Amino acid sequence: MNALADAANERLLIEAAQQDPTRFAELYETNFNRVYAYVARRVTDRAEAEDVTAEVFHTALINLRRFQWRGVPFAAWLVRIAANALADRWKKQSAGKELLVEERGEEIAGDDPQVERNAMLFQLVERLPPDQRLVIFRRFVEQRSVREIARDLGRSEGAVKQLQFRALGSLRSQMKERP
Amino acid sequence: MSSVAICEELDFAIDGMFTGVTLAGQPQSKEVRELLNIAVALSEMPRHEFKSRLGLELGWRAAGRPLAPNNATSVFQQGSRLYPVQGRSFAYSAAFHSAMAAAIFLCFALVKVQPLMQSASEHTATMLQPYIAVPLASGRVSGGGGGDHSKSPASHGELPRMTAQQISPPVVQIENLKPRLAAEPTVVGPPDTSTIAKNQLGDPLSKLMLPSNGTGIGGGIGSGEGGGVGSGRGGPGIGTGIFHIGNGVSAPRPIFTPEPEYSDEARQAKFQGIVSMWAVIGSDGHPRSLRIVRSLGMGLDEKALEAVRSWRFEPGMKDGHAVAVEMIVEVDFHLF
Repeated sequence: MNALADAANERLLIEAAQQDPTRFAELYETNFNRVYAYVARRVTDRAEAEDVTAEVFHTALINLRRFQWRGVPFAAWLVRIAANALADRWKKQSAGKELLVEERGEEIAGDDPQVERNAMLFQLVERLPPDQRLVIFRRFVEQRSVREIARDLGRSEGAVKQLQFRALGSLRSQMKERP
Repeated sequence: MSSVAICEELDFAIDGMFTGVTLAGQPQSKEVRELLNIAVALSEMPRHEFKSRLGLELGWRAAGRPLAPNNATSVFQQGSRLYPVQGRSFAYSAAFHSAMAAAIFLCFALVKVQPLMQSASEHTATMLQPYIAVPLASGRVSGGGGGDHSKSPASHGELPRMTAQQISPPVVQIENLKPRLAAEPTVVGPPDTSTIAKNQLGDPLSKLMLPSNGTGIGGGIGSGEGGGVGSGRGGPGIGTGIFHIGNGVSAPRPIFTPEPEYSDEARQAKFQGIVSMWAVIGSDGHPRSLRIVRSLGMGLDEKALEAVRSWRFEPGMKDGHAVAVEMIVEVDFHLF
């Protein structure tokens, strides 16, 4: 029932965005984590992941009017754009990697549970208590050491490690509760 | 296993994940392995700034505002993805900056055309108080010095008479033996301490008997500068003159510094700042010859002078004796 409601709601959002492109922001917010998680798993560094993700959403916005609702989630369309963008990149990088591109093409045809899982995880981080969220961002996005974080926050290294441990534990528990 | 031990083990494993170093002792506990899986996924998490910036760019594009070609990149976005460029705003900005650059260039050009005016303004100091000769500890008048670039130091002799105003500087060796208008050589000093020279003029502190005006400059006698006698500089008096701080001369230390009053005008305007003045702190600790070198205006310069005149200093010292020292005195006007 929820899935049907979600699908109907998504369809309304898409139609609204097709009429008024400024409504695309809602689709962006809903699907950003999923697209980014998909891309991040397939590129080597954060800068490239950001470039491809940006390309995907810009392409989607430009081609939004051509999108036809057939009961397939909007995210799948975005992932297809991402797959094509990645394929183009890989082709440009090296002809010798074309086989890899084809393999990737096969791979993206099916669902990637890890992408869904990561997208959900990124969403859950936003709901952590502020101090735990800050530690997670500093530690995993900025990849700073516990010592640096402790110095910046004016707390002991032990306290930062505790926050990190509690945050990861909380995320693990919430992920287990999800289907 | 205690929570502290788990924290340590987990953090160690996360460090290993970032550095790519495979540890011999992999995390043993199931809990740490599960948490490390979460950590691996989190290492692919997007940056907040990127998400919000991309959302902004999309909003601009959706609203029909042009972006630079190549989707997300603009002239300012090579690899950094800053805000998108609006053509009209860019044109306004470019025009404004061009106008400012032209104005700055024009200012420099005008300054170059009028070098004398600039030079004059650079050296202007407001003289708000008539010059007062600074007495030394011994009661003599400072500011002495002179000479005519002779190779030998000034010769021994007596001091000329002291007057309030000097007409002719004292000399040992007279070059013009028949001047059209003869005037008595004097040095500036309190008239009540005047002496009349009976013998050869010279520096009383010198031991040389060979006639010489001294190695200094300015027409007097001695190794200093000016029309006086001695090793000082800048004056037609006698003695060692005014000292600079350093080289064995200590700085005067303020010991009584009443707060300056605020002028009504400056108070109403909530005007604050620092008035700087050149001053000679006499050997008696009194500031003299005050000259404003950095003005604030709004009546604050006068208030600063008024305050500093009442200040008292522990005088500068040289060789255990109090001496007159020139220094910059600053008066800070601030509103609480």
